[in-house]
Amino acid sequence: MSTRVAGALIGVVFGVVLSWSGMTSPEVIREGLLFEDAYLFLFFGGAVTTAFAGLWILRRRAPRALLTGERVEWETVSPERRHVAGSVLFGIGWGVSGACPGPIATQLGQGIAWGIPTTVGLVLGIVLFRRLQARAPAEPAASVIPSPMAADATA
Amino acid sequence: MVHSQLPWWIGGPLLGLCVVAMRWLMNERLGVMGAWSDVVDTVAARRLSFGPFGWMLFGLIAGAAAFALIAGGPDFHGYGWLTGTFSGTGGTILIVAILLACGVLIGLGTKIAGGCTSGNGLSGNAMASPASLVATLTFFATGIVVTVLTEALIR
Repeated sequence: MSTRVAGALIGVVFGVVLSWSGMTSPEVIREGLLFEDAYLFLFFGGAVTTAFAGLWILRRRAPRALLTGERVEWETVSPERRHVAGSVLFGIGWGVSGACPGPIATQLGQGIAWGIPTTVGLVLGIVLFRRLQARAPAEPAASVIPSPMAADATA
Repeated sequence: MVHSQLPWWIGGPLLGLCVVAMRWLMNERLGVMGAWSDVVDTVAARRLSFGPFGWMLFGLIAGAAAFALIAGGPDFHGYGWLTGTFSGTGGTILIVAILLACGVLIGLGTKIAGGCTSGNGLSGNAMASPASLVATLTFFATGIVVTVLTEALIR
């Protein structure tokens, strides 16, 4: 199986779960962030706990990746200003719209037209970031815009 | 609506297993913003050779579409507090403008922070990456504050 097929299959599972859990609905997110319903936090906590346990086992065993053959390993990232600054901008957009990048995609998939302006904005945000990145000073610490070499720059 | 919300203790772990699968199959950090970026960057380079992340985004959209077809329609109608507060033609234009702005904040913010709810919140925390913990606490705190503020304004 190619990594592209695997990526697509993981995406399908992710999309069905984000839809079935109600995470696509801005009302479910809002009820969570207003502490009116514990589902958002229980769902997120269950996901992080499971992923943490799974990755912990993988890290201890350090197998070769099943499709690519490379060693399964990763580096952690130390907090920088950009992690806070970027997450504040994201948190404002998330709080007002009740949507984040996954649910924006599942809104489109479910045929919800309100997802279109959010998608256009998201794409503009990526384009704007690439422009800023192209102009960013060579000294990464001087800017909140991470250089393309940052460990988490693929996100 | 024929479907009900998937219990959190099934949905959460399933989402967590997607993170583990991405790591075990190809040693990659699952992140939906990485998936959006792959598609935007590839198209911007006038190519169509998407990688596993781009295909993950297509899978996400397809999974949500399959869900809506099987469930007999989208997960929700209207758009939460926005359509509950603003109505008419002027209201619709205002909501589109708000969602567009939110999309830009979400896209730019998550790019600066190196991840969104999945890349930092789910995968980064499961990898025990300190930057992801800081990012997650920041976007949850910001999201909660913004949601409570908007709720206070409309009540």
